[in-house]
Amino acid sequence: MANDREVLREIWDGKIPICFHLAQEEIMEIQQPDPFYVMVPRLSYFPLVTDKMKRHFLRYISQENADNEMWLDYNGQALKWHYPIGFLYDLFCGNDPQLPWTLTVHFTKFPETVLLHCPNKDVVEAHYMSTVKEADVLKHRGQVMSTMQKKDHNQLWLGLQNDKFDQFWAINRRLMESHGDNEGFKHIPIRIYTDDGISCQRLISPKNNDGSRKTVQQLLSELYPDKPEVKLRTHGVLIPLDTPLQWLSEHMSYPDNFLHICLC
Amino acid sequence: MSSNSLLFSINNEGKVYALSTSGSCWREFMYLGLEFKTLSAVPHFLWAVGGDRQIYLHVHGLEIPIRVKEESYENERWLPLEGFSGRLLPTDRYHFSSQDGTKDRSIDCIRLPSMAWQWEGDWQLELTLDGQPLDHDGWTYAVDFPAQFGTVKQWKSCVRRRKWIRYRKFSAMNSWCAIAPLHKDPTQEPFIDVSIGGNQIPYATPGTLSVWSITAHGRVMYRAGVSTTSPEGLKWINVSIPPNCDIKQISVGPTGLVWALLWTGRAIVRKGINKDCLTGEAWLEVKSPAETKLTSVAVGFNAVWAVSSDSRVWFRKGIEGHAVGHSETAAMGSGWLEINGNMLHISVGINDQVFAIGESNKGVYWRSGITPAELTGKRWRMVQANMQLSRTSSTASIISSTSNPKHHSLSLLNENTVELKTNINLRNSWEESHSAPIENTLPLKPSKELKPKKNVNIENIDLTGKSYETTLKNPRAWSPVRSVGSVVGMEAQPDSDSSVFDVDSGMYFDEEVSQAAWGTCDATWTFIEAGACAIDTIQVPHWFSDSKNVHNSDITAKWRLEILENLKNGNNFNIDLSNFGLAIEEKGWTRSCEARLVGEKKCGEDCILSLYWHAIENSGTLSVFQPDGTIKFILNLEEITSIITSSEPGCPRITLTIPNQSEKFIKIQFISEMEQEEWFSVLIDISSQLNGLSGKPSNSSIWMVTNSGDVLNFDPIVIQSNIDKQGSYVKDYRVFGKDILTGYTNTLYNNFPPGSELKVVGCLDDEINRFHINLQGPEVQKQRHKIETEVLDIPLHFNARFDESTVVCNTKKAGHWDYEERHPLPFRPGHEFTITITCAEKEFIIKINDSQFCTYKHRLSPESITSVLVLGPLKLYTLEYFSRTAIIGPNEMIWRTIGGYLKKVETCQNGIVWGITHDHRAWVYTGGWGGGILKGIGGNEGIHAMTDTQTYCVYENQRWNPLSGYTSTGLPTDRYMWSDVTGKHKRTREHTKLLNCHWHWISEWMVDYNTPGGVDNEGWQYATDFPAPYHGKKVFTDCVRRRRWYRKAQLVTEGPWIRAGSTALLDISLWAHEKTASVWAITMAGEAIYRTGVTNTTPAGLHWEHINSPHSFVSISICNGVIWAVGRKGELFYRESVSEENRGGVNWKLIETPKCALTFNPKAGSGAKLVSLTNNAAWVVLTNGVIAVRTEVSIQQQEGRHWKYLTDCEVPFRHVSCMDHEVWAVQNDGTVHRRLGVTEHNAAGISWQLIHCGPIVHVSARGSNVY
Repeated sequence: MANDREVLREIWDGKIPICFHLAQEEIMEIQQPDPFYVMVPRLSYFPLVTDKMKRHFLRYISQENADNEMWLDYNGQALKWHYPIGFLYDLFCGNDPQLPWTLTVHFTKFPETVLLHCPNKDVVEAHYMSTVKEADVLKHRGQVMSTMQKKDHNQLWLGLQNDKFDQFWAINRRLMESHGDNEGFKHIPIRIYTDDGISCQRLISPKNNDGSRKTVQQLLSELYPDKPEVKLRTHGVLIPLDTPLQWLSEHMSYPDNFLHICLC
Repeated sequence: MSSNSLLFSINNEGKVYALSTSGSCWREFMYLGLEFKTLSAVPHFLWAVGGDRQIYLHVHGLEIPIRVKEESYENERWLPLEGFSGRLLPTDRYHFSSQDGTKDRSIDCIRLPSMAWQWEGDWQLELTLDGQPLDHDGWTYAVDFPAQFGTVKQWKSCVRRRKWIRYRKFSAMNSWCAIAPLHKDPTQEPFIDVSIGGNQIPYATPGTLSVWSITAHGRVMYRAGVSTTSPEGLKWINVSIPPNCDIKQISVGPTGLVWALLWTGRAIVRKGINKDCLTGEAWLEVKSPAETKLTSVAVGFNAVWAVSSDSRVWFRKGIEGHAVGHSETAAMGSGWLEINGNMLHISVGINDQVFAIGESNKGVYWRSGITPAELTGKRWRMVQANMQLSRTSSTASIISSTSNPKHHSLSLLNENTVELKTNINLRNSWEESHSAPIENTLPLKPSKELKPKKNVNIENIDLTGKSYETTLKNPRAWSPVRSVGSVVGMEAQPDSDSSVFDVDSGMYFDEEVSQAAWGTCDATWTFIEAGACAIDTIQVPHWFSDSKNVHNSDITAKWRLEILENLKNGNNFNIDLSNFGLAIEEKGWTRSCEARLVGEKKCGEDCILSLYWHAIENSGTLSVFQPDGTIKFILNLEEITSIITSSEPGCPRITLTIPNQSEKFIKIQFISEMEQEEWFSVLIDISSQLNGLSGKPSNSSIWMVTNSGDVLNFDPIVIQSNIDKQGSYVKDYRVFGKDILTGYTNTLYNNFPPGSELKVVGCLDDEINRFHINLQGPEVQKQRHKIETEVLDIPLHFNARFDESTVVCNTKKAGHWDYEERHPLPFRPGHEFTITITCAEKEFIIKINDSQFCTYKHRLSPESITSVLVLGPLKLYTLEYFSRTAIIGPNEMIWRTIGGYLKKVETCQNGIVWGITHDHRAWVYTGGWGGGILKGIGGNEGIHAMTDTQTYCVYENQRWNPLSGYTSTGLPTDRYMWSDVTGKHKRTREHTKLLNCHWHWISEWMVDYNTPGGVDNEGWQYATDFPAPYHGKKVFTDCVRRRRWYRKAQLVTEGPWIRAGSTALLDISLWAHEKTASVWAITMAGEAIYRTGVTNTTPAGLHWEHINSPHSFVSISICNGVIWAVGRKGELFYRESVSEENRGGVNWKLIETPKCALTFNPKAGSGAKLVSLTNNAAWVVLTNGVIAVRTEVSIQQQEGRHWKYLTDCEVPFRHVSCMDHEVWAVQNDGTVHRRLGVTEHNAAGISWQLIHCGPIVHVSARGSNVY
C-alpha cells in the first residue's frame, strides 16, 4: 500500500516554472505581449492550468482565431495535452534542464496529425478516467474502479483538478492497495518512453518467478538485455536501480495510475 | 492489534510454542522436561496431553488472579438463660450455613478444591451490612430466620447471624498443572486426546467451559465442573460410546458441540449438548467423504473442518452453532465439501478462522478470507514468523526466572551452548521417568510450591454413562476428589517470564531489540491449536512475509532516500519565482445538501444546508435555506463550539452547539448515513482548522464522552496562548447597545480573587436618579416562590444616588444588608464615566475617571463573587474583566471530536488518557486524532481498529387468565406486551434497529437465562403484577410473567485508542506524578487493581496488580496517594498506607457514609455511587443524584472530616470529576456543569455554570492544572 506519505507529498508538490510566449506570427497588435509566467503542478495537465494564460494572450491575436483551439510547442515539438506536464518536461528537458521552461502558444495551424483535439475539460476528464481504469485493469483486473461509486470518481478528478492532495489520496489509496492478500499488483501499469516520445507498454509483474520483489534493474535487463547502461527518469529523478517496482508503482505513479518513465 | 491472543503449536520435538496475534515470533513455552502430544485451548485455558500420556492444564494470560469467595453464615438463637448461642432449635438451620440456610457450611469443612488453590488469608467477618457498619462482631439481628436482618439488636431479636468470608486463589497460574490420573497407577489408563471448548454455549452461564478427553482404552471422559472460576474442574465422568467404536480424536467447539473420530476414519457427533445438558444425549454417526478416512477434525462455531488420511481438507456444510443443542441437522451438518490444499492437521479458532499444518513443508497455514458469509475462505496463507531459538534446558529456565526478570530470555540464548551438555543428561533422566513426571519436577521448585502430593482417597467413580457400570469391572478404579495432583514447575511470574506472555507489541515496544534474539530457522510443526486465537481479518497480524515488516525496511532503504533527496532538490529552483503566478487558484469551496432541521419536539423542517469555506482566509459560513431558497439563518463557522453525532436508528443526525445564538444548538437530520458522515467529518475538519486545533491535545485538556460514544476534548492551552497579554487576561464583554435599564448581568468566570479588575466605561443619561454596580454571588431560588430567584450575597454593592448626591457602598450577607459606607457623588448626569474596581488582598480599590475614589474593606470573600450586575439609566460602552488566570467562558470552549467510541474517559495531569468501552474493555489514548468516520483527519498516526459490543434487550410480557393460561393479551391498562425494562415504551424484536451501518448483529435474539431475579426453564420470571419484584419460580399468586430477550451487536470503527490489558473494567482513575502515573481500576467482579509501569512513554503500562479485598467495588478515585473506593452497596472506603514502596496499600477502611435525603426524590437511596478526589476534598455522587463533598481530605486525614451537600440544583447528577479547583459534573439530562468559586477554603464552591448542553455521559477534568 502506498503509505509513504513523505514521498507522495513531495511528488504531489512538484511544480515547474513555465514561461509562455505567444508565437510571433500570431501577434496582431503593435505592442508585444508580455510573456506569461506560471508555476504549474507536475502532475496536472495543460488544459487544466492554461485558462488564465489563454485570456492573457487573447487580446493580442486576431479575433477570428480567438475561438480556435490553443496548442503549445516546445522547440517546435507540439506538446500532447493528454500527458502529465511533469512527464512532458522530463521527456523534452530531462537531460538538459531549462528553467523556466519556455513554451510557445499557438492559436492557428493546429497540428491535426500530432495532437488530439481538446475542446473542453470534460475531454481531459474522460481521458484521465479511462487511463485510471486501464491501470486498474492491469493492477486488480479492474475490480477497484468498478466497485467505486460515481462520486468517488468525481472526487479523484476534482482532487487532481483543484490540487487537493488529501481529497485525491482518500480515493487513490484504494487504487493503490494490493488485493489478494498483499501480494502486490497483478501487473504494473508502466509506460516507458524513448526520446522521440514513443512508448512501450508491456505486461510486467511486480514479482520475480521466485516470489521476490522485482527491482528496476531486473526490469531493465528483462526489457533491454542489450543496453546495460540505460537509466530511467520520472518526476525529474533518476530511479535507483534497486527500487522495487511495486513500491515505485504505488508511490511514483502519476495521478492516472501509470508510471510514465523516460528512458535515458 | 486490538487484542492479543495466542496461537499454539507443537513442533516435531514435542515442544510447545505460542505465537501472539500482536507479535511476530514463535515463543517457546518454558520447557519443564515434558514433551506434549496434543493441545486444546480456549482463551486463557490450555489443556494438553503430555508425553507421559497424562493431562495437563495451563492457565495463562489472566491479568488478575482467579479468586473465589467462600461464604458461611454463622447462625445463633437467643435462649432465655444462655443468651445467644450456637445451640439452635431442631427446626432451625445449621450453625454454619449458606445464606438461605439450606446447606451446611461448617467452616472447617470448607476446603480447597485442589492443590492448585491457596487460601488468601484466614476467615474474616464481614463488618458491613448494605453499607452500614456493624459492631466488631459483625452480628446482624432478626426476629426469626427467614427474615430481614438489621444492624441493631432489638428486644424482639431472637436470632442473629454473621457472615464469614474467605477467599481462595488459583495459584497454578502460568504453569503446567497436572490433572490427576484416572487410576492410582497413571500408566493403567493413560489419555490420548483432550479438547476444551464450550465457551459460547448458547444461553449458558458466562464462564462455562467443557472439556472432553479420550483414554487409551477408548473411553470418552467428560470433565465435570470446569469453568473460568474452576479451571481444573471436579472429576472425570465417563460418557458411553456406541459399541465397536474406537475413538482416536475428539474436538469440542465453542458451542459445546462434540465431534469425535474413530480409528476407522469415521466421525461421530454428540447430539443434544445444550446449557442444561453439557454432556449431550447420544452419538450420531456422520458419513465420511466417499472412500476416505478422516484423521483430524476440528469444530468451530458454525463450521467443522476435517483432514482425511490422503491429506485432503474437508469442510462440513450446514453446521449452525446456535441450534446445535436442539437440532440434529445443525449439529451434523449436511455434507462434505472438499477444499483445496493438502494438510496434515487442522484447527478452528475464534470466529471460525482455520489453521492447518501443510503436508509438504510442515508449516502452519492460515485460511484467509473466512467471514461469516463465506466460511470456507479463499486461500491458504503460510504463517511465517520468526522462531525463538530453542532454550531446551529445563534447569536453565528455572534458575533464570528467579534471577533478572526482564532479560533472561536473551541471556539464556547466550548460555545455550554451555548448557547443551547438561541438557542431554537431563533429557535422559526424563526418559526414565516418563509415566510419573510429577514428583521428579518437584525438587526443582522453590519452597512455596514444595508441597507433598496430597494423599487421595480411593472412591467410587461417579458415573453417568449407563453402559459404564456394566462394563467396568475394575475395582481399583477411582476418581480423586482433589483432582489436580500438583503443579509442574513453579508458577511463572508474568513479569519475570518473558517467554510467552510478554506483550511483545506494547504501544511503544521496541521490537528491534527483541528481534535480535530470534532466529528464522524453519520449524517442522506437528500440531496446531487455534482455539484461543482471534484473528482480525481486517488487520491481519504481522505473520505473513509480505506484511508490514518488509515495508518498514523500505523507509530506510538507500534507494528510497535517494529518490526523496532528489525529489526535494528537484523542487528547489535557483531562479526568482516571484513573478510566477499559481496555476491553480485557491478558491473557497461550497458544499450543499438537503437536510432537515430537528426541533425540540422532534418535528422536522426541510431545509437546504450550504457550507462555504475558504482555506486561505480561514473563514467559513454555514447557511440554512428554506426549500424555496429563502435564507433561514447563516452561521459563522467560528461560532460552532462542538459537533457531535446524535443519530437514532434510521435518522442520521448531527448536533451543532452554538452558544452565542438564541438557540443554543441545532440538530440536523441528513438523508443518508453517508451524507451525515461526510458532513460530520468536513465540519470537524473545518472547525478545527478555524480554531487552530490539531494533533495531540495538551495535558490539561478536559475530556468528555457523549451518549453516542463520541469523545470530545477541550484544550484550554489553545485559548490561553491566544489571549495572553502582559501576564494578565482580559475579557471584553460585548455590552454595546445592551439594555442596562432592567439590569445587565454577566458571569465572572474566574470569580474575583485579589488581582482581578473590572473596568466599566459608559455614559449616564441626562435624566438619572440612581444606578448601581453589584459584584454578586450566585442566584438562588427563593424559599417560597420557586420560580423567582434572588441573590443572597453581594460582596460589593456600589450605588450612585443622584437624589442624595452620594455614593453608597454596602454588602449583602445572606439576604440582609450590612451597614453603609457613604462617599460624595463624583458623577454628573449626561457625562461619560469610567469606573475601575480592583480587588486587593484586603479591600476593593475603586477608581473613578482614573483617580482614586475610595477603598472598601472585604466583608465577604471576593472569591464568592460569580457575576457582575449593572443597572440604571445609562449606556455602557465597554465592560472589561481582567484576571490573573485565563478567562474561559463556555462560549469559548471549542470541543474537538477526537475519534473513537467510548463510554468513559479518564485523564490525568501528564496527558495519559484511558477509556472504557461498553463491553468494559480498557483503551489508552495514542495521541492521534481521527479514524472511523473522521477518516484520516489527523493522519493515520496512532489510529487503530476499535470494536465495542452492546446488548439490546426487549422484554416479553404476559398475563395469566383463567381460560388460556399465560397469553400475550394483557389488560387494557397493562404495559406493552413487548416492551423495554420499564414497560413504558414499546419495543419489539423486529423493530430493534442498529444505530448505523458500522454496527452489525453478532447474535440472534436469544432468551436471557441470566436475568437478575432468576428465571424458569423457558426464561420466564413471575410476579403478582407488573411493577413488582420478579422471581424465577412460579407460585400460586403470580398473575404476570416476563422474559428478557437479548441480542448482541458489535461496532467496528477506528480511533486513536489502543487496547490496554485484557481485563474488563468498571471504573478507572488516574493520578499523575511527574512522568509516571498511578492507575487504579475496578474489575467487572468488583475487585480493585492497579497498573504497573504507566509512564508518559508507556501509557498502557505493563500489567495489573491485584489488591485483595473482602468488598466488591463499583467506583474508585486516586489523588495524591489517597485512594477512595465506592462499594457495591454504596459504602465508601479509603485505602490505608499507600506509599511509593507499597503502592498497593495495606487495608480498606470504612468512611462515614453521607446521608442526604432529598426533597425532590426522598425515596431514592443515599449510598454513594461514584467518587472523585481532589487534593483536599472528595466529591461523591450519591445514588439519588445529590453531590456530597467531603472536606479536609488529606494524606494525613484520608477519610476527611465533614460532609457538605450541594442542594442548590434540582436536577440529579450522574457524574462528577474534579482536580484542584476544577469541578465538572454531568447531570442526568446530559448537561455538563462546572463549579464556580471552588477555593482552598471553600471546597464545595458556590454555584454551577452550564458548560455544554450535551447529551454527555462522562466528563474528566482530572488533567486540568492551569487554573
